[in-house]
Amino acid sequence: MKRVIVIGGGPAGMQAAVALKAAGLEPVIVERSDALGGKLRDWHNLFPSATPAREVLDGLRKAVEMARVEVLLHTEVEGLTPDGSKPSVEVALAGGHAVQLSGGRKLEAAAVVVASGFDVFDASLKEEYGYRIYDNVFTTVDVERMLNEGGVALADGSAPRRVAFVHCVGSRDEKVNQKHCSKVCCVTAVKQAMEMRALFPEADIYNFYMDIRMFGPGYEELYQRAQQESRVNFIRGRVSEASPTIDGRIQIKAEDTLVGRPMKMSVDMLVLAVGMKAGSSCEKFARTADAALSPNGFLAPADLFSGCVASGVPGVFYAGAATAPKTIGESLAEGSMAACWVVEYLDTLAK
Amino acid sequence: MAEMTFYSGFVIPFIVGTSVLFAVILYKYMRWMVRLPREDKRLVRRGVFSRATAEAIWESVAECLLHRRIWKVNPLLGYMHTAFALGWFLLIVVGWAETAAYLGGRLVPLQGHIFFKYFTTSLDHAPRWGVDFEAVMDLLLLYVLSGLALALFKRIRSRALGMRRTTRLTFGDRVALTSLWFVFPMRLLAESATSGIYGSGGFLTGSLGGALVSTMPAASMASFETAAWWGYSVALGVFFVSMPFSRYMHIFTEVPLIFLRRWGLRSGETEKSFDHFQIEACSRCGVCIDPCQMQRDAGVTNVQAAYFIRDRRYGKLTREVADNCLMCGRCEGRCPVGIGVNALRLNSRHSLNGTPADGRYDYVKGLDTSTGSRVFEGAGCEIGYSMKQGRVGFYAGCMTLLSPRILKAMEVIFAAAGEDVWWADRNGGVCCGRPLKLSGDVEAARDMMRFNEGLFRRHGITVLVTSCPICLRVFREDYALEGIEVLHHSEYFERLLSEGRIALSASDDGGLLAYHDPCELGRGCGIYNAPRNLLHAVADLVEPTETRENALCCGSSIANIHLPGAGQLAIGRAVGSAFEATGATEIVTACPLCKKALTRGTDLPVSDLAEVVERHLKVAR
Repeated sequence: MKRVIVIGGGPAGMQAAVALKAAGLEPVIVERSDALGGKLRDWHNLFPSATPAREVLDGLRKAVEMARVEVLLHTEVEGLTPDGSKPSVEVALAGGHAVQLSGGRKLEAAAVVVASGFDVFDASLKEEYGYRIYDNVFTTVDVERMLNEGGVALADGSAPRRVAFVHCVGSRDEKVNQKHCSKVCCVTAVKQAMEMRALFPEADIYNFYMDIRMFGPGYEELYQRAQQESRVNFIRGRVSEASPTIDGRIQIKAEDTLVGRPMKMSVDMLVLAVGMKAGSSCEKFARTADAALSPNGFLAPADLFSGCVASGVPGVFYAGAATAPKTIGESLAEGSMAACWVVEYLDTLAK
Repeated sequence: MAEMTFYSGFVIPFIVGTSVLFAVILYKYMRWMVRLPREDKRLVRRGVFSRATAEAIWESVAECLLHRRIWKVNPLLGYMHTAFALGWFLLIVVGWAETAAYLGGRLVPLQGHIFFKYFTTSLDHAPRWGVDFEAVMDLLLLYVLSGLALALFKRIRSRALGMRRTTRLTFGDRVALTSLWFVFPMRLLAESATSGIYGSGGFLTGSLGGALVSTMPAASMASFETAAWWGYSVALGVFFVSMPFSRYMHIFTEVPLIFLRRWGLRSGETEKSFDHFQIEACSRCGVCIDPCQMQRDAGVTNVQAAYFIRDRRYGKLTREVADNCLMCGRCEGRCPVGIGVNALRLNSRHSLNGTPADGRYDYVKGLDTSTGSRVFEGAGCEIGYSMKQGRVGFYAGCMTLLSPRILKAMEVIFAAAGEDVWWADRNGGVCCGRPLKLSGDVEAARDMMRFNEGLFRRHGITVLVTSCPICLRVFREDYALEGIEVLHHSEYFERLLSEGRIALSASDDGGLLAYHDPCELGRGCGIYNAPRNLLHAVADLVEPTETRENALCCGSSIANIHLPGAGQLAIGRAVGSAFEATGATEIVTACPLCKKALTRGTDLPVSDLAEVVERHLKVAR
């Protein structure tokens, strides 16, 4: 059997499928939503180069199309049942559309690549920031959507005169069970602050951060440019609460920990840099495949160094943000890598 | 009748033990009483000749002898404790009566009563005063022995006596426990041996004695008898010496504690002499361990009331043990001795807290941003504030400020009721002080309280509403707010509803609500019904298995200043699954902190009562 099931049709899954096809195998992408692309579909420009997300997405889609990879949309994977050398997945119809699979059907394969991605942290769990309570509190995901829809504006349609970004919303926060650093939110907030500057040349733009983590190539340079060219103000301190003012603005309270003083500030728009949470299906996959979960809920790779796409279960491999927060580039690299590991695994079996 | 000397070598361990016991106990009690603060001494003087003393006598009988409260925990456990306490007490009392009945009014030394059978072999033991004393004493001994059998059984299977976990013992406890277990079997053997040799004894000692004589040669029977009496006396002596240093100190101390408590003495914000009576009245029975969520969900097993009191008693208390407690009050409500462990824990925290930071909160004095200015009012030139009098004040508190959904709901409800509200937090209100108090910093807490009191008075409010039970409790317990009625928002909503100022419509979405009792609101302020009445008006309500007085703590109590997030989460999840088991579609609570804690413990939606009331407001007005 040459079939390899790829769970999830985001960047990692698409990349893995294309690479598997090129290696002469028969990948099948099982995607729960109505289209390929994952969360990349919702992004506007990618950090640090401001490459349009659409460019990357179109390239991937075209590659999948050209390779004639079989894609099952609206199909949810219920569980993994690795059975010696022949793993299989239980699939169920998610939306009730015309797909040839029915609920509870078993799909057998030679190997499975789990590329099920992450969930965006639900900012309304940090009730003190007023998301979905006050009109002008948004998340970085909302900002990407607004940018894609053609413009950022306050709820009444006007332009903000002062915008504040709050870093680490749903990251490094024990109070919401998210101890880990989501790593991409810092650079996302910096990127968006610069985009805000371009849209609103006269506005005050602030970033409230705990630490600025600029780990990738070109990120630190972006951060420097944000300060020097885009005149974005960075304040080290965690925002403790947001409340409405009489004139409809939002008052935030924070402590400027570099100065050591509590401070209050009224802003027109508050943007919450939401973190990456373990995908809701990770737990299900780990349970049914008898694989390990990390304490933060992501799937745990067999080895952090030499086996980052291995699950430890024969025939089951990982790619992308199913195992930890990752950038688009890292997810794509893991997609290719997982395909290599599948090929090697099947070769060893054949011998 | 032969002259009775009431002396034999074996009585020495008993005499020594008894002397040490009474010397130590007398020393302790005298010392504690002398060191009572003046106001406590005044309470004692006022209480001695009052009804309270009579009530204390009755309570002492009910609790120290009959152990009524332990019977409520588990009947077998109650039987065990009563068998020891009442059985032994009656053995002593009936023993004295027996002595009096057979020897008349002559003075008999203490060991004469205790070792009566040994010294009175020359007596005719026929019934006196119409009482067959030998049979009665045997029956009582059998009663105590049945308690002992249960105690042994409890060591193997504590669950049968209603306890999943029992207390870990100290060395002193082990010595005392072992000697205690030997006392009654040794007594049985000793009395049986003497009865066997002299052909006396009741149905128990007589028949066992007969059996012993028939199986043993006469020479060894005599040395067996001596050995048995020595064993009995040594067991008693060792028990008495170890008693004041072990958990068995409670046997006597519970009695003065009951009297002092009835006379109105309580443990306070700072440590004082009365605390000793509470601490040494703890028998470490372990009833406090099972209800503790720290133990059952967070895996913390060294901080429970019995262990905290033990550590404090022996001077080994660490900050961790004092601080690592939710102070939910679940154990306090079940303590058979009624020890006020939360007050003790708080004053321990105060003692361990070190020096208070003087002047740390001086800045609050600049926070009163009242818009009113001092003006001359009326012709009488009376100085006053020109602020509106008689308004309702609303105090959100920090946790409500961090839960804007609740704030927003309050605004909507106030508007619907047409209430003209003064917002404390927007007009210079500072922290209610309870977090500081719970951390042991009572001086700083008092600064906060006095500041807020002044603020409330200056703004002339007559009703103070709060949505936070933590604030509510400190307002009711520690603030001097005469003339200002303090209400939890649940009570306030109930009043609005009954006065017809708001109306609620029941939902028809088939939702099933479950109400979580916040510790500070339920056990803390006794408010259980107001939130339920409101919820009943809008939807169907289900209860989890542990509810109301036994309700679980959310796990994020501000009273615990030690437990890391993972432990809080473990408790929160356990509470969450208890609610999920009810089949409820939504959890409602009446505390912003509980709301936050439960939100991360379950996938069910969690709301505050204010949000539910807002959702069901009828806007017909």
